[in-house]
Amino acid sequence: MVKLFIQSIKLSIKSQIEYKGSFILNGISQLFIFFTYYFMIVALFSKFNNIKGFTVYEVLLCFSIIQFGYSITETFFRGIDKFEDLIIDGSLDRFLVRPRGILFQTLCSDVDFIKIFRVIQSVIVLIISLINLDIVWNINKVIVLILCLISSILIFFGLFVLTSSYCFITLQGLEVKNVFTDGGKYMAQYPIGIYRKGIVFIFTFIIPYAFINYYPLLYFLDKTNNTLYMFSPLLVLIFLVPCLWSFKIGLKHYNSAGS
Amino acid sequence: MKSYLNFFKLRIITNLQYRAAALAGISTQLFFGFVYIMVYLALYESNKGVTPPMNLSSIVTYLWLQQAFFALTFPYTKDQELLNMIKNGNLAYELIRPQNFYFKFYIKLIANRMVAAFLRSIPILLIGFLLPEPYKLSMPSNITSLIIFIIALLFACLLVTALSMIMHLLTMYFLDARGVSSAYNVIADLFMGGIVPLPFFPKFLQNIAYKLPFRYISDFPYRVYSGDITIIVGKNMLIGSFIWIIIIIVIGLIISKHALKKAVIQGG
Amino acid sequence: MSYIVVDGISKTFKVSKRSSGMKAALKSFFKRNYVYVDAVKDISFSIEKGEIVGYIGPNGAGKSTTIKMLSGILLPTAGNIKVNGFNPFKDRKKYVSNIGVVFGQRSQLAWDIPAEDTFDLLRDIYKLDDKKYQKNKEELVKLLNIEEIIKKPVRTLSLGERMRCEICASLLHEPKILFLDEPTIGLDAVSKKIVRDFILKINKEKKVTVILTTHDMMDIDTLAKRIILIGKGKILYDGSLKKLKTEYGSYKNIIVKTDDTIKEIKLKGIISKKKIDGGYNLIIDSNLVTVSKVVNYLSKYHITDLDIDNEQIDDIILKLYEDYKI
Repeated sequence: MVKLFIQSIKLSIKSQIEYKGSFILNGISQLFIFFTYYFMIVALFSKFNNIKGFTVYEVLLCFSIIQFGYSITETFFRGIDKFEDLIIDGSLDRFLVRPRGILFQTLCSDVDFIKIFRVIQSVIVLIISLINLDIVWNINKVIVLILCLISSILIFFGLFVLTSSYCFITLQGLEVKNVFTDGGKYMAQYPIGIYRKGIVFIFTFIIPYAFINYYPLLYFLDKTNNTLYMFSPLLVLIFLVPCLWSFKIGLKHYNSAGS
Repeated sequence: MKSYLNFFKLRIITNLQYRAAALAGISTQLFFGFVYIMVYLALYESNKGVTPPMNLSSIVTYLWLQQAFFALTFPYTKDQELLNMIKNGNLAYELIRPQNFYFKFYIKLIANRMVAAFLRSIPILLIGFLLPEPYKLSMPSNITSLIIFIIALLFACLLVTALSMIMHLLTMYFLDARGVSSAYNVIADLFMGGIVPLPFFPKFLQNIAYKLPFRYISDFPYRVYSGDITIIVGKNMLIGSFIWIIIIIVIGLIISKHALKKAVIQGG
Repeated sequence: MSYIVVDGISKTFKVSKRSSGMKAALKSFFKRNYVYVDAVKDISFSIEKGEIVGYIGPNGAGKSTTIKMLSGILLPTAGNIKVNGFNPFKDRKKYVSNIGVVFGQRSQLAWDIPAEDTFDLLRDIYKLDDKKYQKNKEELVKLLNIEEIIKKPVRTLSLGERMRCEICASLLHEPKILFLDEPTIGLDAVSKKIVRDFILKINKEKKVTVILTTHDMMDIDTLAKRIILIGKGKILYDGSLKKLKTEYGSYKNIIVKTDDTIKEIKLKGIISKKKIDGGYNLIIDSNLVTVSKVVNYLSKYHITDLDIDNEQIDDIILKLYEDYKI
C-alpha cells in the first residue's frame, strides 16, 4: 500500500512539473499566502503584548502546530480535500471499478506538492517560537510536541473525510465545510481558551481542536502539571471513528453523477 | 439598459436556485465574523492599559461589514466564461459584436458581485444589528458618513471589478493563471485591510498601503461608516477612489485592446 | 445458470423540481419540491459467457445507469444482479478484478504524462505479477498499434489514439468481462475500425464477454449479434440483430423530390410520411404494398427525382424508437 502511495505521488509530481513556469510562480504565491497568516498575528502583537495571558511566541507555537497539520493534509491528501471534483469528473466511478479501497485511492489520486512550501514555513515558525520561549526540555515535552504534530494531521484528515462524506449526498452548500476546516484552522491558531464558552465547547467536544494544541501546550508551557493533558492529542483518534464511518455510509448512498 | 436589467434579474433567479450555497455562505460569514470579533475582544480585554489603534465598536463594525460585503469586495472572483474565452482565443469573435468587449464583461462581473452580495449581506447585516453588545454592528456614526459609505462601497465595487478585469486579461499572457491570480489575491487582500485593518499595520507597511489603490476596496468604506475616518477626510478619499477607478479602467482598456489584437493575430 | 443474470432491477433518483420565473425561484428558495425519477424500471436479462451484446437506446434511457449497476458503481434500488457468482456492489473489491470498464467520455489516463506511466500504476493497483503484466501489455499494445503512442503525454494524443490507450488500460488485468460505454464516440472512421476489429478479436481469442452501449449503429452491425433496446428505463427489445432486421427489414425508404404537396396517401402499407427539404420521405412495408404501386400512385404529382433504399439499421432503430414513442 505504501509502495502504491509513493508511486502515485511520483506520478503527480511528474504531471505538475510539466508546467515549470506556473509551478514556480505558484510556489512563490504560497510563500506570500503563508506570510499573511503569520503577519496577522505579528501585526496584532505589535500593538498588544498578550492575549489572555499568552505571549506572541506562545500563540505562534499554537499557530505553527495547526498550520503544520493543515498544510501536510493539503499537500499529501489533496484528493480528499477536493473530493467534490472527483465526484463531478467521474473519477470516483473509476475508483469503484478498481480492487482497492475508495478512501485509499482518493488519497493516491492527487498530491499538491507545491504546498510543501507551507509545511516548511510552518516548521520554521515552530522553530522560531521554540527558540524564543524559555522551555525547560525533558523527554515528556518532546513526546507532547510530537503528539501535537501528529494529531494535527489526523484531525484535518478526519475533517476532510467528514466533508467528503457530505459530498456523497449533495454537492450543494459545500461552502459550509469552510467553517470547520478553514474556520477551525483560523480559530485554533490562537489558544482556544481565549474564546467564549460556546465556541470552546464546540471545538473541544464536537471537533476536538482544543485537544491537539491548547491542552497539550498548557502542559508543554508549564501552565499545568496535569500529565493527563499531555496525552490529550490521542483523543483525536476517537474523532476519526465517526469520520471514517460516515464516509462508509456516504459511499452506500452514492448516486453517480452524469448520465 | 433594459437588457442589463433583464440580465440582473436572470442572475438573481440563478442565484436563488442555489439555496444551499447561499445559506452555507451566510453561515460561513457569520461564523468567521464571530471568531474574528472574539479574537479582538480577547486582545482588548487583556490589554486594558494600551490605547488600541481603533476603538472596539469601530473594529466590530468593521468586521461585520467585511463579512456582509465579502462577495462584493473579494479581490478576485473568476468568471469561467471570460477565462475560457481568453484561453481559447475566441476573443477574436468579440470584434464582430456591437458592444464594447471590455464593458460587456465589466458589467457582467459587477452584476455577479452585486447579486451575490445582495443576497448574502441583508441577513448578515440584520443579525449584526440585532446582536447584543459587544458583538453588535453599530449604526453609522451620522447620516453624512452613511452617504459617504454607500458611495464608497459602490466605488469599491467598481474598483475591485476593474482590477479583477485586468487579472482576467492577464491570463492571456501567462500559461497558467493560477499562480498569478493567487499572488494578486494575497497582495490585494493584505493591502485592502482584509487580513488585519490597516491601522494595525506597522508604520512602514501602513505608508505603502495608503499609497496603493487597494485600501479603497474595504479599508475606506468600512472605516468611514463607523467614523474612524472623518467626514472631511472621507470626502477627499471619495475623489481619490474615483481617480483610481478611472486609472484602472483605462489600464484595463489598453490591455483589452492589445489582447484583442493578439487574439486576432494568433487566430482561434 | 447464465454468466450474467439481471433480475428485476430498478434504480430511482431523487431530483428537485424547478419552474421558471422570479416568483417560482423565490418560492423554491424556501420550499423545494422533489420528484422521484426511475432511471431504470424492473429490468431483467441474462447474458452468456463470450457474448457481445449491444445495449442501445436514446439519451437518458438508462443505459449508463445499467452499466454502472452491472459494474458495481451503483446499488440497484430493487432487484438482483449476479455476475459470475458475484454481487457487483456487495463483493465490489473481489468482483472488479473480473471486469474492465471504459467510459468513452471520461478518461482514466493521467492527462499530462504518457499513458505508459498510468499502465504501470494500474499494475500496482491490480497487484499484477510483473512478468505477466509485461507480456500482456506488449500483446495489447501491439494489437492496438499504440507502441509509440503510449510514450507521449496523453494531452498530446488525438481522441482516437487516446481511446485505444483507454481500452488497453482497462484490459491490462485480463478481465473476463468488458463494459464499454460509448467507446467510439467522436472517433474518426479509421479509429472506429481499429477499435471494432480489436473488440472482435479479444472476444474471439480471449473469450471476453463484451457489453457495449453506443449510438453508432455501425458498431452494432459489425460487433453485436444480440441487442438489448432500452427506452424510458424499460427493455423494449431483446434478441438477435438478424431477427430485428427481418422483422423491420421489409421496410423501404423512398425519397420523393417534388415541389407539390402530397396529401395523405390512401394505400395500405405506408408506415410513415415525412416532409423533408424539397420533397418527402416515405417508409413503406414491402410485404403489404409493392414499390411500383406506390410509384404509380405518386405519378399524379410532378416528381423530379425518386430514390429507393432498403432500410439501414439506423432507420430501423429510429423506427423502433418511434414505435415505442421514446
